[in-house]
Amino acid sequence: MNEKKNSPLFFSGGIYSAEALRLAAAVFSARGGVRLTAAKGGTEAALSGGINPGEFANEALNQQCRIDLSARNSRLSGIIVTKALLSASGSSKKGGK
Amino acid sequence: MAQRPATKKSAERAALPHFNFRRLSGGAVLLTNDSGTHASLSGAQFRQFRDGRVAAGSALYKELSAKGFVRDMMDMDGYAAACAKKNSFLGAGPGLHILVLTLRCNHKCVYCQSSAVGQASRGTDMSPALARKCVDFALKSTNPGITIEFQGGEPLLNWEALKASVLHARRRAKEQGREVRLALVSNFSLMTEEKARFLLANEVSICTSLDGPADLHDKNRVFAGGGSHAAAVKWLKYFSAAYKKQVPEFRTFKPSALLTVSRYSLGREKQIVDEYVRLGLEDVFLRPLAPIGFAKQLWDKVGYAPEEFLSFYRAGLDYILKLNARGVTIRERNAVMMLEKILNGTDPGYLDMRCPCGAVIGQLAYNYNGDIYACDEGRMVGWQGDDLFKAGNVARDPYSKVMLSQASRACASASSLDTQPQCSRCAYKPFCGVCPVYNYETQGSLSGEMPSNGRCALFMGLFDTLFSLLAKPASAKILKGWVSK
Repeated sequence: MNEKKNSPLFFSGGIYSAEALRLAAAVFSARGGVRLTAAKGGTEAALSGGINPGEFANEALNQQCRIDLSARNSRLSGIIVTKALLSASGSSKKGGK
Repeated sequence: MAQRPATKKSAERAALPHFNFRRLSGGAVLLTNDSGTHASLSGAQFRQFRDGRVAAGSALYKELSAKGFVRDMMDMDGYAAACAKKNSFLGAGPGLHILVLTLRCNHKCVYCQSSAVGQASRGTDMSPALARKCVDFALKSTNPGITIEFQGGEPLLNWEALKASVLHARRRAKEQGREVRLALVSNFSLMTEEKARFLLANEVSICTSLDGPADLHDKNRVFAGGGSHAAAVKWLKYFSAAYKKQVPEFRTFKPSALLTVSRYSLGREKQIVDEYVRLGLEDVFLRPLAPIGFAKQLWDKVGYAPEEFLSFYRAGLDYILKLNARGVTIRERNAVMMLEKILNGTDPGYLDMRCPCGAVIGQLAYNYNGDIYACDEGRMVGWQGDDLFKAGNVARDPYSKVMLSQASRACASASSLDTQPQCSRCAYKPFCGVCPVYNYETQGSLSGEMPSNGRCALFMGLFDTLFSLLAKPASAKILKGWVSK
């Protein structure tokens, strides 16, 4: 990831998925604008409205780590979350309303 | 470049089961696993463990085997039982039901987090009929033992709805043969003998806010009608006397108090603890303020950095331990709840520290108009115009729809630590939990970003403090005594 003042940030496609960048952009949507465009070997993000480039890059990395981690742990996480939701809703027992 | 000595990539090293670790101050290394057991190793012991060089038959080997850190010696049934015990809440359903009887309040607290409006405001009271509907909704919970907590604003400003819901809850609980705990959180400024007798007779447990000695309390909790502290103390004494007296007709619970730590509290930990001791309270909850709802807008004035709170907390806990050593009975609630998990492997019902968090699946907040939120903090966000955490409405939505609402599913998914970078490898994962509302309010997403998350820094600091104290025999003895059965 190369960062220059007033220049779009470049995110390598080998590391960052488009989904991670879109999620990061959504996180910052209330603070300013993020324009994502495909570039050779990755994606460029043009930031406006005072979004701190470092913060955006951190969030993009965080989202990519979440995606990577979910690919490994989503089964376990899904079992736990589903168990909690169905138990609370009464769907896992008779008599739920 | 110097080469590192070869380590065994043999069967011994591969025999490490899943574990997380954290280096503590002083060089010790904490090991934990998903069943919630932990072991504290010296740096040298940790290197032996990491490299698979712990001698079979040694004391360390036996300890690590017993705690589930040696794969070949794993007691999988015991491990599974420990996981089931500490996560028993996953099969329970919402146990805490918060009824916001009014948004009106006669206080103007400097940190107000609860979206209160002025005492004379109109249209923000829950009707008695709606309050009864909320009780009926709460009783649909799959949780066998629910607590209905009356909050506000100041709930005594809507006495008719409070009285109606208490009577209705008691009647319905009797019909269903079900345990229902009732709790009131009040500033006591409108308490009267008549109201107090009604609450006692209906076994309503009582909690008030107490921010410390009078000058500090009244600075935080501004009450135009006179001293807020005086009212809180007067009625705390009244309910404490009733608890000591006990009568055969009904159970009387010991009253409790909630502390909110504002910037004004920093440095005054001893006076705060002394005030709790003076009033005969046996628990003090050194509770940090969160930049949620209105407190977010006031943060520059009343908030503080996690490090500032942690300095306050460590000094307060140190003082509490000194009092305990002198025979004074006083415990710190954060520590008690965390120690329940760390030492007893049980869930203390602290909904903010669960995985998934308690939003909807552990608690519901019923607003004055019947809107249901994932939690009270989510309701505060809703009052600012953002209904992301709204799960439904008492009058319109069936119970199961609320439980499986978007808010419910989003909060449960976002607070799963197994998909949180950093949390998934954190040594405190078995005891901790994230808060989607906090994340959303401070970082703009439900999942948040832990390396720069203030709440994460704060809880890491609390756990560091407790594990450091558990490593010292004198403080460990006191802390273990707080949660011994």
